[in-house]
Amino acid sequence: MGHIREPKGVDFFIKSEPLTENARKEISEFIREYKNKLALKSIPKKVHIKKSV
Amino acid sequence: MKTQKPIELDFIVDRLTNSIQNTISGDSFETEVHRLRLIDLKQVTKKNGWNFNWKEELADNKKEVFKLTITNNSDIVQGLLSLSIESDHVYMHLLENAPFNIGNKKLYEGVAGNLVAHACKVSFQQGFDGFIAFTTKTKLIEHYQNKLGAYTLGGHRMIIPTEAAQVLVDKYFKS
Repeated sequence: MGHIREPKGVDFFIKSEPLTENARKEISEFIREYKNKLALKSIPKKVHIKKSV
Repeated sequence: MKTQKPIELDFIVDRLTNSIQNTISGDSFETEVHRLRLIDLKQVTKKNGWNFNWKEELADNKKEVFKLTITNNSDIVQGLLSLSIESDHVYMHLLENAPFNIGNKKLYEGVAGNLVAHACKVSFQQGFDGFIAFTTKTKLIEHYQNKLGAYTLGGHRMIIPTEAAQVLVDKYFKS
């Protein structure tokens, strides 16, 4: 198990802007697109096998 | 008539492993995440060097506030996180290291990473596939991209997607 080291001279902190309805929509849109892309990647490509006679 | 004592819930939410490191000795310490309690507010004030108003965060019913402590030393708060559960992700509102974990003389490394990993874990538990979002300052965007695997979503808004969230959870949590 490890830990994430903050770069020298940098302190990680978060002070988020209030979440507006627009921001919620943008985030949801990103999540939807991200999941769609992943789903497309996971569909196996068709493989054509030549039948030998 | 007897007055009933209020029941205080104080439970360990999660256990983390070797996840903060003493910058002087190099020793790693196991940590725990608990919900912040009213009694903790005395410690996490602006007077004591904390930057954000944690009393306000705790009073907000839409938010959940967590504290990170070292195992067997639960009185000292190492860092704090407030988040809300949205429809498809977890939104991190505030995250702050304890005053003694800031700057060149910080006592422990890795506090923020622990707390972000906890937010990811909450997201998985909620069925959000690990997605968490937050906004940050320009100077930290690159660090969050490199260290946490976060994506930018225009402006200062950032998202940590499933794979990066899983990496963080695996790094910090005992299975």
